[in-house]
Amino acid sequence: MSIKLSKTFLLRKLHQITGIVPLGAFFFVHIFTNSKAMSGEKAFNDAVGDIHHIPYLLFVEVFGIFLPLIFHSIYGIFISAEARPNGFDYNYGRNWFYIFQRATGIFLFFFLLFHILNLRFGAIPGLESYGNPVAGNATQAFDIVQAEFRNAGILLFYILGVAATAWHLAYGIWLFAVDWGIVIGEKAQKYALYACIALAAGLFAVGTNAAFAFVRPCGLLPQAFCSELEENKITQPNAPRRF
Amino acid sequence: MSNSNEFKEKKRLTNPPQTVDIKIQRRDKLGENAYWETFTIPYRRNLNVISVLMDIRKTPVTKEGKQTTPPVWDMSCLEQVCGICTMVINGRVRQSCSALIDDLLVSDGGNTITLEPMSKFPNVRDLKVDRTRMFEHLKQVNAWIELDGTHDLGPGPTMSQETAQERYAYSRCMTCGCCLEACPQYHDDNYIGPQAIAQARYQNMHPTGKITIDERLEGLTQEDGITNCGNAQNCIQVCPMGIPLTRAIYETNRDITVNALFGWLRK
Repeated sequence: MSIKLSKTFLLRKLHQITGIVPLGAFFFVHIFTNSKAMSGEKAFNDAVGDIHHIPYLLFVEVFGIFLPLIFHSIYGIFISAEARPNGFDYNYGRNWFYIFQRATGIFLFFFLLFHILNLRFGAIPGLESYGNPVAGNATQAFDIVQAEFRNAGILLFYILGVAATAWHLAYGIWLFAVDWGIVIGEKAQKYALYACIALAAGLFAVGTNAAFAFVRPCGLLPQAFCSELEENKITQPNAPRRF
Repeated sequence: MSNSNEFKEKKRLTNPPQTVDIKIQRRDKLGENAYWETFTIPYRRNLNVISVLMDIRKTPVTKEGKQTTPPVWDMSCLEQVCGICTMVINGRVRQSCSALIDDLLVSDGGNTITLEPMSKFPNVRDLKVDRTRMFEHLKQVNAWIELDGTHDLGPGPTMSQETAQERYAYSRCMTCGCCLEACPQYHDDNYIGPQAIAQARYQNMHPTGKITIDERLEGLTQEDGITNCGNAQNCIQVCPMGIPLTRAIYETNRDITVNALFGWLRK
């Protein structure tokens, strides 16, 4: 048991594992928190406030999100640069999925750069969040996002981001399962792929509905799904509204 | 061949073209620029790409009437067993001996057939490539079984019927290079490729070969190793011998996860 492992081997395995945990796991938590907006302003603002009270928050943010994200995205670009796509000559589903995994990855690099600068750091001039990001402003969190999402272009960009993330993560889970030798056989891979496609569709649906929940109560669903709506409403805003 | 294909072929062959254009990518020698030449040959039934190339070799005159050198290509068995005549025909890698002109005309339409050398190997001349690197890959993964000495080793170990059948499939590899040519990850010899991984798996499955599994896995965890696989799975689609290349990759992935990645937990 003394197999030498090359640098490339270890980096690839680290790239695969960071995509699942912590980044994939974080995406589930993120979509869950966003979905609280379905129950109204107070529920969402409370959820943002709860995140602010996570112990060792800075440590969790740096080692749980930022460092894995920076590694995964930059090394992902190096991996994408190696590709020589040939989908038109070899027109097979898995070959297109291979191309699509790299295309969504590159799109997500720019989307996440925008998203983090926008809502985490409030550093995109001209947007509602400029100088007033969601992070650190729990009491205004819902209002800030709502004001941005009233711009259809921004809302569409975020929905595209959710779609790309949902696919990249779900297919990434399939890639992880085959690359680590968990799912081996042809049939097993086919069923695992169906499961991942279903997961992608589910994540996209939930994430998109959460985004619409900021501009319309309960998002795209009938309001009966969000019966707690009334009691969650803030009657006396504890911070002056900006809009 | 399915009924619909037979029908299409008949439909086509009731009105076959008078001539067929063969567009060939030429190169005078390694490192020089490639250029294209088109030749026109009279159509007759049951031509294949090799017989077309032989026709062109007899009178190497291009469509425009220019006298040129006869195109160079490799061929040997002419029955899709040796793999040496592999080239890119109408954008797809395959053996030229089993590429029938009638089928190509029906499936791809038009009267032009494009021939290119494989793009992922050094192009020696015209349609001839140097596939030495595939043999280097076999050396890298120790794709053989160690036998010590010439003395009588007694009867070999027994293996299950399933193992024997899977190993037989891997034994059919003819090192043609189709899998590497179609692989979107493989270029400039940056990846060891499905062929060598399948041959490593072939020897790892053998009861005697299993003894030296670590050496083969070490060959596969190098910089150009198995983790460069992008799971596009083109290899299994183009393999002319129907070798379960993806099974070899994923079974080996499991061996590597157990023995290499978590092997230190057994120390």
